[in-house]
Amino acid sequence: MFNLLNMDLYRVKRSKSVYVCFLLLAAATVLVYGIMWLLEAPNGQEIALRIGMLVPQEAAEAESILDGIDSLGFFRQICLDGGMYNLIFGIWVMLFICADFQSGFIKNIMVLHQNRWNYIGSKIMTAWIVDGCYLVLHLLFALLMNRLFDDLVPYAGWKDILFYLSWVWFVTAAFAALIILICVLTRSVAAGSLAAVLLGGGLVVTPLYGVLNMFHIGGWLEYSIYLTCAMGPQKYTSVKSLYVYAVGFGFLILYTLIAGSVLKKKDI
Amino acid sequence: MMSTERRDKLAIETMALTKMYRDKAAVKNVTLKVREGEIYGFIGRNGAGKSTALKMVSGLASPTEGEIRLFGKPVSDPVVRRRLGVLIEAAGLYPNMTARQNAVMKARCMGLADERSVDTVLKVTGLADAGRKKVKHFSMGMKQRLGVALALLGNPDLLLLDEPINGLDPEGIRELRQLLLKLHAEGKTILISSHILGELSKIATSYGIIKDGELIEQISREELEEKCQDYFRIEVQDVQRALVMIQETFPDVQAEVFDARSIRLYGVQDGSEVNQMLIENRVSVYASGFHHMDLEEYFLERMGKEGGR
Repeated sequence: MFNLLNMDLYRVKRSKSVYVCFLLLAAATVLVYGIMWLLEAPNGQEIALRIGMLVPQEAAEAESILDGIDSLGFFRQICLDGGMYNLIFGIWVMLFICADFQSGFIKNIMVLHQNRWNYIGSKIMTAWIVDGCYLVLHLLFALLMNRLFDDLVPYAGWKDILFYLSWVWFVTAAFAALIILICVLTRSVAAGSLAAVLLGGGLVVTPLYGVLNMFHIGGWLEYSIYLTCAMGPQKYTSVKSLYVYAVGFGFLILYTLIAGSVLKKKDI
Repeated sequence: MMSTERRDKLAIETMALTKMYRDKAAVKNVTLKVREGEIYGFIGRNGAGKSTALKMVSGLASPTEGEIRLFGKPVSDPVVRRRLGVLIEAAGLYPNMTARQNAVMKARCMGLADERSVDTVLKVTGLADAGRKKVKHFSMGMKQRLGVALALLGNPDLLLLDEPINGLDPEGIRELRQLLLKLHAEGKTILISSHILGELSKIATSYGIIKDGELIEQISREELEEKCQDYFRIEVQDVQRALVMIQETFPDVQAEVFDARSIRLYGVQDGSEVNQMLIENRVSVYASGFHHMDLEEYFLERMGKEGGR
């Protein structure tokens, strides 16, 4: 499996998609910080008023938009709460897996690695590594933006950041496992993209949650990947806060097992 | 030269290999035997089951029934798999990478730490100068050569090549032929399928013919040569008259009416005697000449015979 991991990391470093996806995350962060700076910061409001983006009556109201939000809270609103991160990361995972099948390189791999679990294990580990790099670099980039945009929001404590990033890393890795499963099952870029958009963007879970909540039975969906990312704790308050690790780990194992079984059953 | 001991050992052995797709059998009860050191030509029409059989041998598809052994060991044995180099259907390559990057990927997948083997296979297949050109800009022939290069990584003892000649220009075909003959001389076993039978006949030491998923014949080059005897073919105006005269005049010659105008004669030493006899007896001879049945003709004849079963 480590030979495959070595091969996958070599490919990650040389593929454009990994950098393009991060640039998209970074661009979205710059855009949100820029807009919020125009609405919130005194210097920004001056420009916003001058270009007609704000009228003087709205300026005072806009100043309170970010009240009570620290840098971590703002990061998660940009990145994870709305599903943007999972959508973009999901598309990268899809491109990474489907390229094996589309190019036919999977044949070179499977001739050498009869144990299909090696393949799944390597892909999960690669996705996990990229996921970790994305989260850390994206957070650092968001903090840099905060600094550049006149410290728009107060900085969060490092313990909260560590706690948040660690569980999000688990849960988003579980999402990667889900996309891997769909790609291994369908071997189709179209199906993989659709899954990344629908599942990453919460276009399945959110409406379902709304409908089920009308009958007061939507609570269990809070343990889905999408809603855990959106509603999971930002700081450790009690042992109960640790449920997010169980969600991440549980789905990661589940989807990995299913993906491995699917790959074992299907011919290449 | 191959030792007798080695010739007796099998590089590939399949026993009653069967692959079903729903109710349709793509490969039926195939018992294939490829000896070590052979170049085995695997012949069959499109859809005959060649690629499916090769996929099963290389572990890419699992058989519905039957058993596969490589060098006497089960195909699932990871050690024996490292002795296998495969190019099945189109070469599996990442289009946005260079030839070298693709080869390095395969080398890493195999756990080869030394990248010198990558340079060696690229040199052997004439791709050492491909430089930074991405595979998506390669010609079909270059892609095929890179596919062969990837199959050669790790210096495998057994090569499975499915239509490796596809897309190659005459020069590329000649280079590949020379490469395969060189690898054969080094003692490698090669199983190669191709539609270009003329080309296959230049290198193969034995053949397997597959039709509708069934292996209808396995034959060595010597046996094939014996079967593909030289014959003297005459095209005449009156086939029936000519036949009677030939049988009367040349009792040792075997005659076979091929179609309404031509007769094949086996065992003729001097064709001019036959021509002269027929002309003297006022049988018009339109054309005549010695002919050697080649692999293509033999294959087509076998297909025809099996089709009539």
